[in-house]
Amino acid sequence: MKRRTLLLSLAPVTAWAAPDLAQSVRERLQQPEWLRGDFTQTKKVPGFAKPLVSTGNFVAARGLGVLWRTVKPFASELRLTQHEIRATQGGQTAMRLDASKEPAVRVINTLMFALLNGDVSGLAGLFELSGSVKGAGWQLVLAPKPGALQQVLKKVELEGDGFVRRIQLFEANGDESLIQLTNPRTDGGAEPGLFQ
Amino acid sequence: MSLERTTRRLAAVWLVLVLACVAHNAWHWVLQKRAPVTDMLAMLPRDEQRPLAAQATQALADAGSRRVTVLIGGGEAAQAQRAADAFLQALGDIPARHRVADADSQAWLSLYTPVRAGLLSPQSRERLAQAPAEALADQALAALYQPVGGPRVGAWADDPLNLFGQWLAERGQSSRVRVQDGRLMLTDPEAPERQYALVLIELPGSGFEISAQRALQPRLDAAAQAAEGQGARVIRAGVPLFAAVAAAQAEREIHTIGAGSLIGIVALTLLAFRSLRPRLLVALSMAVGLLVAASVCLLVFGELHLVTLVFGASLLGVAENYGSNYFSARQGLQPQERWAMLARQIPVVSLAMATTVIGYALLALPPFPGLRQIAVFSAVGLVAAFVTVLWWFPLLDGAGRMAPTRFADWLGSRRALWPALKARGLVVLLVVSALVMAAGASRLRFDDDIRQLQSAPPALVAQQREFARLMQAPGLAQFFVVQGRSEQELLAREEALTAQLRGLQIGAQAVSDWLPSQRRQREDAELAARRAADMRPLLAEKLGQPVVAATAVAAELTPEAWLASPASEPVRAQWLGRLGDGVGSVVLLRGAESADTRAALAALRLDGVTWVDKVGEVSTLLGRYRELMSAVLVLGFVLTWAALAWRFGRASWRALAPTVLASALTVALLALGGQVLQLFHILPLLILLGLGVDYGIFLLEQPGRSETRPFLSVTLAAASTLLSFGLLALSGTPALHAFGLTMLIGVFLAWLLTPFFIPSHA
Repeated sequence: MKRRTLLLSLAPVTAWAAPDLAQSVRERLQQPEWLRGDFTQTKKVPGFAKPLVSTGNFVAARGLGVLWRTVKPFASELRLTQHEIRATQGGQTAMRLDASKEPAVRVINTLMFALLNGDVSGLAGLFELSGSVKGAGWQLVLAPKPGALQQVLKKVELEGDGFVRRIQLFEANGDESLIQLTNPRTDGGAEPGLFQ
Repeated sequence: MSLERTTRRLAAVWLVLVLACVAHNAWHWVLQKRAPVTDMLAMLPRDEQRPLAAQATQALADAGSRRVTVLIGGGEAAQAQRAADAFLQALGDIPARHRVADADSQAWLSLYTPVRAGLLSPQSRERLAQAPAEALADQALAALYQPVGGPRVGAWADDPLNLFGQWLAERGQSSRVRVQDGRLMLTDPEAPERQYALVLIELPGSGFEISAQRALQPRLDAAAQAAEGQGARVIRAGVPLFAAVAAAQAEREIHTIGAGSLIGIVALTLLAFRSLRPRLLVALSMAVGLLVAASVCLLVFGELHLVTLVFGASLLGVAENYGSNYFSARQGLQPQERWAMLARQIPVVSLAMATTVIGYALLALPPFPGLRQIAVFSAVGLVAAFVTVLWWFPLLDGAGRMAPTRFADWLGSRRALWPALKARGLVVLLVVSALVMAAGASRLRFDDDIRQLQSAPPALVAQQREFARLMQAPGLAQFFVVQGRSEQELLAREEALTAQLRGLQIGAQAVSDWLPSQRRQREDAELAARRAADMRPLLAEKLGQPVVAATAVAAELTPEAWLASPASEPVRAQWLGRLGDGVGSVVLLRGAESADTRAALAALRLDGVTWVDKVGEVSTLLGRYRELMSAVLVLGFVLTWAALAWRFGRASWRALAPTVLASALTVALLALGGQVLQLFHILPLLILLGLGVDYGIFLLEQPGRSETRPFLSVTLAAASTLLSFGLLALSGTPALHAFGLTMLIGVFLAWLLTPFFIPSHA
């Protein structure tokens, strides 16, 4: 961690305050071991006149992964664990990426968990952070560090208070997603079976 | 005096011939710069040779023989990268690849994106062919709504099922190496927290060139030390490392074993003759034998195989006996007496030579070009060495009397220590021998696996194994060679093969994975377009808005474009280009090492597809040579007996039996000592037949226990053989060790047993 701080202090002005900023955001977040909540995703995709809206719920478990259940307009599940990313529809696997074959799976999973949970140190490994803090609220702008991530993501904007409330993803292919997280719950208890 | 005159005349003729051979050899090796043939499979019978397989193996071996790959790290990526930087800095100006420019890592996207329409992974192809349009539409929509998905190039509407992304992902999985932070990196497949930086070092010239290795080895060591100083683990792999170790071992052994052997033989000669002349002349006779044998082989076969050279030169070692016999007989005689001595010795030495040549010539019987070369080489070499002793030694042995030394007298008189065994003694000896043989027979095991002959240090082998585990790269020991009249036919044949291999659940790496045949590209593009059209109305309905159709792309990937792009680099070595009267390529395999799998693969029959299992074939070849040599050995004993009977009549068994006994006991003792027998244990038995029977002949010619000269001759010859061949038992190279050990035991036993069988009076 120390070395990373040292490196960042040599970076340009926007990042100069980054350690303080990260610290301030971290102080405001609850970051539970198990986080559950609902989402509304509004995706703008080039070629489509109307935005694509989906709703559902999610589970983010520290050290285990993320479960993303879309309920509307149709049911599907996306499960991100240490070992794989798997998409299922009606119990059938539609897509599967194996971490042992595709090391990028681990990066994607770290990113997903960090975004939902506001894990600032996880994000700082992948992005240059900037942003501001106001009262109990905070907002962050994440610029991908040079490398493979830049080929996928242009920018991420994050907003929240004790929880992450709003994620806006700007993808390199022109897709834009606004994910609003509502009804965060930290009292559901552990359900490790979800990620087996 | 007529023998002297004849000898002088013949010596002059022989000198002319030998000089002609010197010139011939110099012309062939030095001026023409030809080298011995080294491909083991060239030793197979002609009709079993497969030049295409040999060519393919050579091309693959050439590509790999100059490369050293180093993995550095074992912990966090950042630490691995720091260690790699330290490594590269310590490596200095040796060309190494580690960092990758962004443009390079994008090269494959710029090659494949324009032709993406025709690229389908096998899974995608199957799903497109079978799944109902409804299921495809659901899959496409789920991907659209999910926050993350598989790697995707371009917009969703261009490729709703992400077919190109899946194709790219499958390509990515063929190698575990990834570009991370602009560097080549690798993740441990079993422990993802262990990251390695990968450094590729490409040596100029062949990996077997000593000078390139000399320069590399210390630099590699220093660089590895620098990386380890950063707390990283360093794993090295590559042919040049093994070649370097083999060269270092050979050099060490030449220094120790070679020097020990030379000192021993020189000391022995000085003690026995108080002069180096006999040793130098014996060396001369062998050198002449080698030169003449090489010339004759080149004239007969047009080439010389390395194996012939090695085996043939060892078989020539029997010539030691003739020189040794000459000087033992000559000792103590006035110079003018040498002609009478020679007249007496000629029939004896001729018989000794003939019995050996019989054994060697028998090697020419089986239809193996290798054995025939060895037969011609060793038989011609032996005759040439023999002729040199007969025609040159009398003229070069000096004018002195060669006074007998005290050591020679003492050694010769040791003959008296051996009693001539009567019937009862022989029975006891035979019973004891039979017991040893029975015990040995129960332990007798043969294994011709060429891998038995590998002698790399365990540390290096362990690193290579760990490297293979981390990289999960396909093996190079077994593979398929595919041929076609045209590039497109070749690619189509590859596709037929890889489809079969998928059915057998065997991982394959083929050029056609990266460069599908034109026909495959067209069919796939058509299939994808048709199913996209089926799916489109369903998508529009579910999304409640129209979906724009992807713009049709007609471009196809051609072999020329593929070969010209840096993206083809990882598999380019498998593209052989012109092969025979068409084009050829190699299909590599993962997880095909087990014997069952190899048998299943060897049984595949497809047009233009040839299975190559170099390790298996060379092992089988060694096994066949071992069996043939064993048969030749038995036949050799029988024919030698016939030759001996012609001179010694009913006493002939006395010259042969000790060697038969020594050979059988040697095999038994080797088996009891835990040796697994192979070709390099059998070859020396053939030499033993030549050597041991000579001992019998020399002693039987002058059988008295008071006769010192024959025994001196035999003992000096046996000691020289033990010092030259026997010391090879100390070698760390398994083949040489096996050879040396067999010679050591066999020659000692033959020398020990022979005097027991010689009657005390003629």
